[in-house]
Amino acid sequence: MTTLLIKNGHVIDPANGIDDVHDILVADGKIQKVEAGLNDTADEVIDASGLTVTPGLIDMQVHFREPGREDRETLETGSWAALAGGVTSAVAMPNLKPVADNQTVIEFIIKRSNELDLINIYPTGSITTGQEGATLSEINELKTSGAIAITDDGVDVQDEGILRRAFEYSKTCDILLMSHCETNTLTEDGVMHEGWVSTQLGLAGTPAASEDLAVQKNILLAEMCGGRLHLLHNSTSGAVDAIRRAKQAGKATITAEVSVQHFALTDEECKGYNTNAKMYPPLRSQDHVDAIIAAIKDDTIDAFTTDHAPHIEPDKLQPFDKAAFGSTGLQTSFAVMNTYLVKPGHISLSKGISKMSAEPAKILGIDKGTLSVGADADIAIFDINKDWVPSNENRLSKGKNCIFNGKTLTGQAQYTIVGGRVKFKQGQIVAS
Amino acid sequence: MVDNPEKDLLNIRADRDVGFFDLFSIEQISNDDLALIYQLSRAFRGYKTYKFDFNKGCSMVNAFFEHSTRTLASFDLSGKNLSMDTNSISGNSSSISKGEGYLDTVLTLDAYNLKTIVIRCREAGVPEMMARHVRASIISAGDGWHEHPTQALLDGLTMLDHFKSDDLNGKTVTIVGDIMHSRVFGSLVRLLKLLKANIRVAAPETFLPAHVENYGLKTFYSVEDALDGADVVYALRVQEERGANGFIPTLREYSKMYGISRKRMDLAAKDAILMHPGPVRRDIDVHSALVAVDEQSHILRQVENGMAVRKALLWVLCSRCDGKEKEVTLQ
Repeated sequence: MTTLLIKNGHVIDPANGIDDVHDILVADGKIQKVEAGLNDTADEVIDASGLTVTPGLIDMQVHFREPGREDRETLETGSWAALAGGVTSAVAMPNLKPVADNQTVIEFIIKRSNELDLINIYPTGSITTGQEGATLSEINELKTSGAIAITDDGVDVQDEGILRRAFEYSKTCDILLMSHCETNTLTEDGVMHEGWVSTQLGLAGTPAASEDLAVQKNILLAEMCGGRLHLLHNSTSGAVDAIRRAKQAGKATITAEVSVQHFALTDEECKGYNTNAKMYPPLRSQDHVDAIIAAIKDDTIDAFTTDHAPHIEPDKLQPFDKAAFGSTGLQTSFAVMNTYLVKPGHISLSKGISKMSAEPAKILGIDKGTLSVGADADIAIFDINKDWVPSNENRLSKGKNCIFNGKTLTGQAQYTIVGGRVKFKQGQIVAS
Repeated sequence: MVDNPEKDLLNIRADRDVGFFDLFSIEQISNDDLALIYQLSRAFRGYKTYKFDFNKGCSMVNAFFEHSTRTLASFDLSGKNLSMDTNSISGNSSSISKGEGYLDTVLTLDAYNLKTIVIRCREAGVPEMMARHVRASIISAGDGWHEHPTQALLDGLTMLDHFKSDDLNGKTVTIVGDIMHSRVFGSLVRLLKLLKANIRVAAPETFLPAHVENYGLKTFYSVEDALDGADVVYALRVQEERGANGFIPTLREYSKMYGISRKRMDLAAKDAILMHPGPVRRDIDVHSALVAVDEQSHILRQVENGMAVRKALLWVLCSRCDGKEKEVTLQ
């Protein structure tokens, strides 16, 4: 029996209402005790004085690029980035090569992640074959081979008839359906948020209505068909208004997330044609950011994610029009939440942590995200006062395309523990 | 004309420099910069094709990744008039068509120790992005829907000379047409703000980009209302090649609604001038009879001013008096 004792840390465990200095004893991968002043001996002791101990973070939306584009990221390098950010579980999107529309890809991801033994990786399957939006994938087989949800993320199912069948079939298979909301005919060639900044830059804009319409369409079909709908990366005031109304109506099981960059930054980041600011959904104008923050405060938004999207340098060293969409984020998500939501006083740290651990676990239906006695010992230990500047030098992801590069953030993971074993310690991945 | 054009120009320049090393946006230009460029431009214009030796030993490449007739010829001849060695590469013959990115192409050109690289391209922002990487001064000759700064400079000179004034305070400039897809508009509107003009825009809503009124201008759907009492009528071309298709039902309807006819021109002030950046689509943007021969039309004068402005710009960018060098911010 291997044991680990975390001493004198400020424990924040939102699911159990704990927000105080406690010790945590871990044995054989499970949490044994969470109490003040424990005197147990242990194989390894971490002095967490002055540090904050939380459930390991759960990121519901990451792109690990393996199989297919291992030059951008692998399950291994993506896991390193996660560990450096205090993230112990990640949901991997299916837009791979080949697309995860079959059990082979799902089983490969599970096998590879078990071999790596770094973080918990939950693969998703695609809603439609090849993510082409035309015919349903074999969703039941995806589920039985281990897919935690279905999504066509990266694109949206444009055809309402297909989407209706997808909701009905996902209900049949009892699997979560995650929607990337975008109306292609309104996005057209848009490469950033349509507004005053896109006008000044002479770039084609994506109107907020492209997202609003798709969110409303998804809600309508979820209400009509049943099934569980999770709305990925919301970024507009129209989207959160629609979600708020739908939650109040209570006709369907709907949850929603926001990627941390969408409450932190605006479309002003695109100025100077900064291609790291190019992503979908696009960084929006301040009025949308304000609406997103209000929706976080009133819990219209359940969870925070990164939409971690690594790219190789040549894909971003392009004219803005042609550059790849997306920013990396796993290493910075806690710091971004702490810097842009907690420090300005929008929400408590406990609420922020809840939306990055207990709430995603609930949405996914996994027994994670808490420090309950008996739970898997997935734990993150943060220095919430540490200022640091993300750069390509201190990044573990293969993707060097991070929109937060050069910005001062506050809060950094010091230890990340998965299944009771320390996997990341003060800037270094700990080899198994 | 004085006996020694070089001496005349040097006297006018009086060891002054501009505050920028690259030019990709009118926002980089101060009032002092503008005054210097225009004083030099007027002098260069007077000496027509006289060959100055100011930029002897300086090389320039016109990297036109998108088609051009007048702007390419204008830059090239301007460089040659300043004794520069010039070379032009165009979209179809360049390495871009072989899959090489803009950055690698421009870095290669920079290794030729060029003083300036003039870039025209389909994508907004490329000149600004490239400027961060190379020692040569980057001059934008138009990038996507963003800006075309030298066009605005020559347009401003044309207007100021017509009104014999240092600014356009109290003057109304009405811009008609495809605002959204126009880099000419992108630069012109910024320059007109600098010159303190009243700006009106006449276009269907489909041609108006989001929040365009934030530039401090007034928008009109009715071209007649927009032209009422205007001092400058500036017609833009419908930019079919940049995606204007679908924004208007037909060119026929556009021409009927927004084409500048004699009758519409008469709604403007008596001494109003008609301008167009070219190439004109006769009888669509502007009634054919107005284009070249009408005394109100300044379209060919714009072309002449283009040479003068580009000579002034190439001189101040390639031959600095203060000895300062451009800093490359990215490797």
